[in-house]
Amino acid sequence: MTTANKAVLLTGDSPLYAELHHLLIDRGYTVLSFEDATSAPQTVSLAVEVNSLNLEAKKQQLCDLDQLLAADVPIITTSLAITATEAASWTEHPERVCGFGTLVPLAERELIEIAPALQTEEPAIAAAVSLFRSLDKETEIVVDEVGLVFPRILSLIINEAAFALMEKAATPQDIDTAMKKGTNYPYGPLEWADRIGLDEIYAISRGLQRDFAEERYRTAPLLRKLVLAKRVGVRSGQGFYHYGSKEECEK
Amino acid sequence: METKTVGVIGAGTMGAGIALVCGRKGHHVKLLDANQAVLDKAQSYLQSILSKDVEKGKINEQQKTDTLERMKLVSDMEQLADCDIVIEAVPERLDLKKTIFGELSRICKSDALLLTNTSSISITEIAGGLPHPERILGFHFFNPAPVMPLVEVIRGKKSSEDNVEQAYRFAEQLGKVPVLVTDTPGFIVNRIARPYYNEALRILGDNVAKVEQIDRIMKQAGGFKMGPFELQDMIGIDINFATTQSVYSDFFHEGRFKPSRIQQRMVQAGSLGRKTGEGFYDYSK
Repeated sequence: MTTANKAVLLTGDSPLYAELHHLLIDRGYTVLSFEDATSAPQTVSLAVEVNSLNLEAKKQQLCDLDQLLAADVPIITTSLAITATEAASWTEHPERVCGFGTLVPLAERELIEIAPALQTEEPAIAAAVSLFRSLDKETEIVVDEVGLVFPRILSLIINEAAFALMEKAATPQDIDTAMKKGTNYPYGPLEWADRIGLDEIYAISRGLQRDFAEERYRTAPLLRKLVLAKRVGVRSGQGFYHYGSKEECEK
Repeated sequence: METKTVGVIGAGTMGAGIALVCGRKGHHVKLLDANQAVLDKAQSYLQSILSKDVEKGKINEQQKTDTLERMKLVSDMEQLADCDIVIEAVPERLDLKKTIFGELSRICKSDALLLTNTSSISITEIAGGLPHPERILGFHFFNPAPVMPLVEVIRGKKSSEDNVEQAYRFAEQLGKVPVLVTDTPGFIVNRIARPYYNEALRILGDNVAKVEQIDRIMKQAGGFKMGPFELQDMIGIDINFATTQSVYSDFFHEGRFKPSRIQQRMVQAGSLGRKTGEGFYDYSK
């Protein structure tokens, strides 16, 4: 696939934004912001929207993209905090909206999940697949539910670790050590959450709770409070752990 | 490092593995089982593993002989009277464990550490009503015990700080990585790992993705070494289901731990994973 003259419009404030921006440029794409694209929307071959926590911004940006871009330009949207079907329902051309979901750091993701909305038509799915293939990622197409597969399962593991920490069942270090040494997890759930961003994990947990309305998906109060206090992890200098000093942030 | 006399109760896979860990570190070990056949099997297991240690050049023939010399197989609980530490590793039945710890409380020195390798029973419940509950603690190894580095040191409601510290140091002396945890259902690992299996089952049940897809995604997108279904097949689907049920029940039916009907049907059908030749995958070919 030739990518050199293809412009991708990238928008959103998820931690995925910076990494996708970097990866797209690295693979020869021209990356435009919404403002860049307003003067020449016809140069945009594909749009990627990556808001998770702020659903009002997500809705606004998707509607703006839908207005700006010709009806056949695919819009790929994160379906971490809401379904792709709901995101597509906000637009006038839902058939070109397709969901996807992954978590940073992208360098560790060999595979990215794609979730077509109920309304998505084939060209948008094909566009999503070829976009991620061009970034050297394998793809797996799953049915559209909040958080897809990996982000959903990991967010529940992290949420349970946050409950255990809140109850002071063990220290953050011991929780992380236990999961790495007792069951071979690649990272402890709390250090993993700090690297991904607690805002992203909370957005998934809140979305599952909202869509399924089951006690099963209840967010750990500690996770929500840390996000409200803007302690979202490594990015903000503090999350479950404190970065800068070695002490953990145990509230 | 001071050499201790360590009693291990139950000579099954876990007990024999724990005995090996202690024996390799120079401790005197008394491995107890009421069943002679189980003891015989444990004896040949210890001999074969230590012979492999010799072949690999980890130890010499003399060290192997010395280690086996230090490890006694016993069938009478009274023989544990001089133990400094006893680790119980019998099947997960509360009545069985209560009886054993009642006996140990009578037989052992009052300052002997009494540890249970339970993965799912409350330490506080095992120690409840016994004399000197302050020296009864959880000491949870992971399977296979000689390989997995983690030991969860579990503090019962009446466990004393002093004994918790002693157990922690003992785990370190065994070359293990100890973590401290309060007496909560599933402790750390079996609790926090529940969603890895349970949510994968829910995703399967809701037809979001298939078994092979979910395993592939968790490995290639998530970086996990094994997918949740391969892992259940390896562990045994019945074992995995029993752990979930126990955590669910001990959390008074908190919705986060609700077991999966798909998994229950697999158990009912006798499709338990690799050990039956069929689980989420077919192993008969």
